[in-house]
Amino acid sequence: MNNISFFHNIKTIARYEATILRRSLFFRLFSIGALLIFTFLNLGLFSPIGDESWELVAIPSSVPLLNLYLLNIAQSVLVIFLAADFLRRDKKIDTNEVLYTRPMSNLEYVTGKTWGILKLFLGLDIIILLIALIINVISKSMTVDLLSYVTYLIIICVPTLLFSLGLSFLLMLILRNQALTFLILLGIAALNLFWLYYRFGSFFDYMAFGLPVFKSGVIGFDNPELIINQRLMYGLLGISLACASVLLFNRPPQSKIHTGVSIALMIFTFAGSFICGLNTVSLYKTALHDRKMVIEAAREFEHSETLSLTSASIDLLHAGETIQATATLSLTNNNNDSIDKYFFSLNPGLKINSIVRNNTELKYRTVNHITEVEAQKPLYHGQTDSITISYSGTINEAFCYPDYSGSINDNPYSIEFLNVNKRQAFLTERYVLLTPETHWYPVPGLNYYPSNPARIKVDFTSFHLRVNTSEGLRAVSQGLMKKEGDCFCYSPESPLTGLTLAIGNYCSDTLEVDSINYIIHYFEGNDYYKNDLSGLKDTMSYLVSGIMRELEATFSTTYPFKTLSFLEVPVQFYSYPRMSTQTRAELQPSMVLLPEKLVTMRNAGFRKQMIRQKKRMARNNQIITDKDLQVRLFNDFIRNSFISGENFRYIDGVAINEPVRYRLSPSFYFFRNNFYSFKYPVINAVFESHLQKVTPPSQTTGYYGSTPGLSDYDKANLVLSNYSLNEILSKNPSSDTIRKILTLKGDYLFNLLRAKAGIDEFNTWFKKYIDNNQFRSVSADQFNKDIKNNFGFEFYPFLDEWFNAKEQAAFNITSLQVSQIIIDNRQRYQVTFTASNPEPVAGLFTVSFRTGPVGGRSGLRGGAPLLMAAEGGSNNSNDGGSNIPDASNISKIVVLGPGEARKVGLTLDAEPRVMMVNTLVSKNIPGLIVWNINNINNSPAGTKPFEGEILLESIPDYSNPLEIIVDNEDPGFIVNEKTDNSPLKRILGISNENSFSYQQINQRYAPEHWQPVVQPDYYGKYILSAVYTRSGNNTQEASWNAVIREPGYYNIYFYVGKAIEQDIRRDRTGGPAGESQGRPTRPVSTGGDVSPADQSVKDIHLKIYHNEGIEELTFDYQNARGGWNNLGRYYLSSDTARVVITNMSEGKYVIADAVRWVKDF
Amino acid sequence: MIIEIENLSKVYPNGNHALKEINLKFGRGMFGLLGPNGAGKSTLMKIMVTLLKPSSGRILIDGKDIQYHRKLLRGILGYLPQDFRFFSSLKTWEFLDYSGSLTGMKNRKKRMSEVDRLLDQVGLFEVRDRQANKLSGGMKRRLGIAQALIGNPSVIVVDEPTTGLDPDERIRFRNILSQLSQNNVTIILSTHIVGDISSTCQSMALLNKGELVFSGPPENLIKKAEGHVFNLSLSPVEYEKAKDQYDIISTIPTENGWDVQIVSDKTPVYESLAITPGIEHAYVYYMEHRLQTHLSE
Repeated sequence: MNNISFFHNIKTIARYEATILRRSLFFRLFSIGALLIFTFLNLGLFSPIGDESWELVAIPSSVPLLNLYLLNIAQSVLVIFLAADFLRRDKKIDTNEVLYTRPMSNLEYVTGKTWGILKLFLGLDIIILLIALIINVISKSMTVDLLSYVTYLIIICVPTLLFSLGLSFLLMLILRNQALTFLILLGIAALNLFWLYYRFGSFFDYMAFGLPVFKSGVIGFDNPELIINQRLMYGLLGISLACASVLLFNRPPQSKIHTGVSIALMIFTFAGSFICGLNTVSLYKTALHDRKMVIEAAREFEHSETLSLTSASIDLLHAGETIQATATLSLTNNNNDSIDKYFFSLNPGLKINSIVRNNTELKYRTVNHITEVEAQKPLYHGQTDSITISYSGTINEAFCYPDYSGSINDNPYSIEFLNVNKRQAFLTERYVLLTPETHWYPVPGLNYYPSNPARIKVDFTSFHLRVNTSEGLRAVSQGLMKKEGDCFCYSPESPLTGLTLAIGNYCSDTLEVDSINYIIHYFEGNDYYKNDLSGLKDTMSYLVSGIMRELEATFSTTYPFKTLSFLEVPVQFYSYPRMSTQTRAELQPSMVLLPEKLVTMRNAGFRKQMIRQKKRMARNNQIITDKDLQVRLFNDFIRNSFISGENFRYIDGVAINEPVRYRLSPSFYFFRNNFYSFKYPVINAVFESHLQKVTPPSQTTGYYGSTPGLSDYDKANLVLSNYSLNEILSKNPSSDTIRKILTLKGDYLFNLLRAKAGIDEFNTWFKKYIDNNQFRSVSADQFNKDIKNNFGFEFYPFLDEWFNAKEQAAFNITSLQVSQIIIDNRQRYQVTFTASNPEPVAGLFTVSFRTGPVGGRSGLRGGAPLLMAAEGGSNNSNDGGSNIPDASNISKIVVLGPGEARKVGLTLDAEPRVMMVNTLVSKNIPGLIVWNINNINNSPAGTKPFEGEILLESIPDYSNPLEIIVDNEDPGFIVNEKTDNSPLKRILGISNENSFSYQQINQRYAPEHWQPVVQPDYYGKYILSAVYTRSGNNTQEASWNAVIREPGYYNIYFYVGKAIEQDIRRDRTGGPAGESQGRPTRPVSTGGDVSPADQSVKDIHLKIYHNEGIEELTFDYQNARGGWNNLGRYYLSSDTARVVITNMSEGKYVIADAVRWVKDF
Repeated sequence: MIIEIENLSKVYPNGNHALKEINLKFGRGMFGLLGPNGAGKSTLMKIMVTLLKPSSGRILIDGKDIQYHRKLLRGILGYLPQDFRFFSSLKTWEFLDYSGSLTGMKNRKKRMSEVDRLLDQVGLFEVRDRQANKLSGGMKRRLGIAQALIGNPSVIVVDEPTTGLDPDERIRFRNILSQLSQNNVTIILSTHIVGDISSTCQSMALLNKGELVFSGPPENLIKKAEGHVFNLSLSPVEYEKAKDQYDIISTIPTENGWDVQIVSDKTPVYESLAITPGIEHAYVYYMEHRLQTHLSE
């Protein structure tokens, strides 16, 4: 091979092919567009005149990554057109024939073409990167990571371009049809972007669209093995495909050597790609396999009784990518039975070398991560044993969350939209992070109970840790550090539920305030906040003290630890939600693991916030000193991050609530108290969910135009309507679902206890009870006994039904009356109503009030404050974000037995404006019923107040024998769906039919089928629902059908579900019109507004079947008042009466709720 | 340089027998390949320039089979295809530079000098910076010949070069080819325009339906037609009869009827005058009279 002519030819072809491509209109438009867009993008995101969002500027690798991530998507699509166009041109125009007769080989030609295109696109990438770099350099908020500019170009763009080119060439040569080639290639690109990008461990993600390539500023890339293998796979495959194109090229070859080289290169690169592909799959499969092994092993031991770990002394040596450790464990048997075999969980990456008791080696067997030790003698209830376990090895992260589904949709982790790898531990030469979730030390019990994922084993353990590591590194753990020679020693003052170890290039700052040591462990150079908040130096103690006091006041208890450490960890550290607890691994006892440079935390970009707020204040003529502003920013950041912050993300328009990971609430319950039950192992998770619950999303207009609809409680109730809690747990639902259910069940259980014991009495007692049992595990049996001793009733009998029953109560609240009453010469307010539960199981609901004059801001009115009120809930509820009352605002809890009705009376000091009933576990959807109280009468003098409940003989019957009502939930409501799927949908097997679950009205994309929706304004017995569908041309129909027994004239009414001021009886079992006090309304105080949904509903086309035929009429829904609207008077024979609604409308969609026939004499 | 074509056949995948057992031998100078459309000229050209592989047979250049020495041939080849266009976004000089660079001219300075020389030779120097889509049809064809000449090829293959050109351009093009043929090169000119051959070729071949029907100097072809070309003066009635009896080459209307040139093996029954045939007469006599007569026999 003549190397000189080889490279000369390639260079020549590349040069001119690039010239031709560069001068094409398509490329010019693309490059000009890209340059403009990316210049503005970089200016807007990273420059001082732009947004400088902290998430993007905190870690400098974001700059090249963001640019190339977006650019790569665009150019990988464009290259399909250009590459295929090249070959089309080759095929059709003789121009290339004059080139083909030149003394060059096919290898040289294809290589030249490939290199020409590649170099042009890479050139464009480099220009855009240079623009980004200039902005990066001039930004005051960012440092520059030059290496990442080169690295990302190589790992993101080069493999994508090579693969796209190779595949385009080959497909075009095989198919010889440009349109078909485009279609296939664009299909592959779309599949990558919309479906395959994260699936199968990003194996099919040739664009690196879902591949986590975010680079930490501290440890760099944490997953080089995956990145290298996955990208090499596509890069090499691209070369291999290009070589195949050389062989298939429609030109007689010139050089046997070059043909041989092409074959060899094709085989070699394909083999390389195959190996890299295998490695990529292997990484994914290994994790899956390891998780499966963890579950299988756990299945074998989950019913075995375990010991409690009371103390652990761990001596650890960090050596390269391994650890060697010796753990001396003190174990207590808290079970009733004796135990002669102990079992421990230890990360499966670690191997046990020996287990010793008093210098005697004990026999043991290992099943994956579980080690079963022959104790030699039984350990009886209450006895303690001590053994020493030596082990070494590395950490297998697949162990940490065995129930993790792997779905990126469930657990996305991205900074803006840049994908970050999810790591649960680090064990490298220069950095180590081991949290209790890794089981880096032996732990009695399991990290996962397959038959009951909500079960958790919690021990309060006194730890002592001694760490030896390389020079220059510092070991960090909970508590205060002591240096013993070269070793770092930690002995936390309080028992902990788990111990965390980090080793790295850490610096530490300590501040002692009110006997608590606040320690910040940060990576060198990452203490940017010191400059940004330099004005707080003198007042930091005061600020910290104030915030802690606020926290303690919120939880009505004191912070239980002597230290609170903030540990900076690499950005890749990520914890998955668990079913057994809502506490995430970012929060450890007395320690918070914060992402490097606080990159994912809101409001952590203090400098930019200062500038913004100053500008805003200057515009508003407000004056504030820098120091005061810094105090404000600091307080906002701390409160939002550690006290009350919430994250909401949206999936299909539905808000998924995820509390900020760093909220300190577990320090006040989960890390200091533990309730356990072998029979009801979910008990601790329920207590935690109830006591640390978060506020559901605001009931205002939602994302993507969704209207208010189902709350978390409603969603939980819909699940509970089909399954018992026990059954749900065994079905391994998603963590979001289980959290909602556990919170609801917890609320129910605690309110049941409050109802039995008295609200204030129970709250006071329970606060004291958990204070007394700090750092102790309390069995449900013991709790039951203690309740009985204090309140005279047992809590256990309720638990069985609570855990196993799936029937639900349902409530009708009627005859609400509010009147002024004089009691002891003082004006008070008497509230009475009738409540009934027609269902065959007992249930309870809570009553709370919003008080104060109309128009004024007032809080929820109720009983005494409760310990551990939902920390975010109470704040937000007063802001109108959510009106679900928390425990501190409940005025009354009413328990109704099966088929019971009670008259309920309350007296209030303040004027009630709104009454709210939370039906908790019930058939009522929505479960929160809200009444606006408009009329308050004066009670006659001498009227005695009524406080309490009167059991009624029977459930009041308000049904009217002269009327027939058919609701959309009734059997008489029939939906006639006409399937009208598009041809493409038919080919792809996409059905218009959706699940029958209730949803919110989506004003932008109404479904093509009749979709059930829930809103408080709709009609219903228990479920206030309607159905709606997209407007069409008579393609969908639904009808209300009722049997008319008595012929005659009937007035026919159509129900319009929108808020109104009129007193109209709305629920079919409510009191007669005019008797009731107002009407239930939407949870958010609307003041008679119109539902947002209504504005999209205009004309409704109805067909009324009557004796003389069918009358078609158009109903003006938009201008109709809420409630029953008369459609006309018709003569009906004894037959089936019918009203039909079609989807013909000029509005966006049509709604069908209920129809009423009223006999007219 | 001797080019030998031995038993060359080409059958396309669709069964079309484009070339049948072609045997030819020619040396330096201009070699004309004449034949009607579909005779197989372009297929033969494409095989000669290594764009196609033959089904059987071989082509030897100085005794070397080009199927095994493609690089050798491509290194000494200049080729102007029938439908020559070039990349619309490239300038005139850039295209020549591209072609020149691929012929192995690595020195940029020398290459640019050669590009300018050729542009001057074909009269395109003034439009060296003009893009392809702004050149006239004749200019494009001249550019085509320039690119075929770059790198001093010793074998130049031109396929139907004058098709579609106006008379001036055609003459100009023939002159360029004539000048080239004076150099030490072999030019293979494929055409269906007989005039292109007569003025320039020292040797020629006739292809018909994939078969070689004649090869040799044009004079030999003309000699075969001597005594078989006649000029007749016919009345309109006679003309109508003669149309069915003879192969008419040309007709010129006169005051009394028509002056007609025909080819015939026998002396016509009408008053006639035998004339000296030209290449066009010879082509018609050979292709349309003799071959058809031969086939009918």
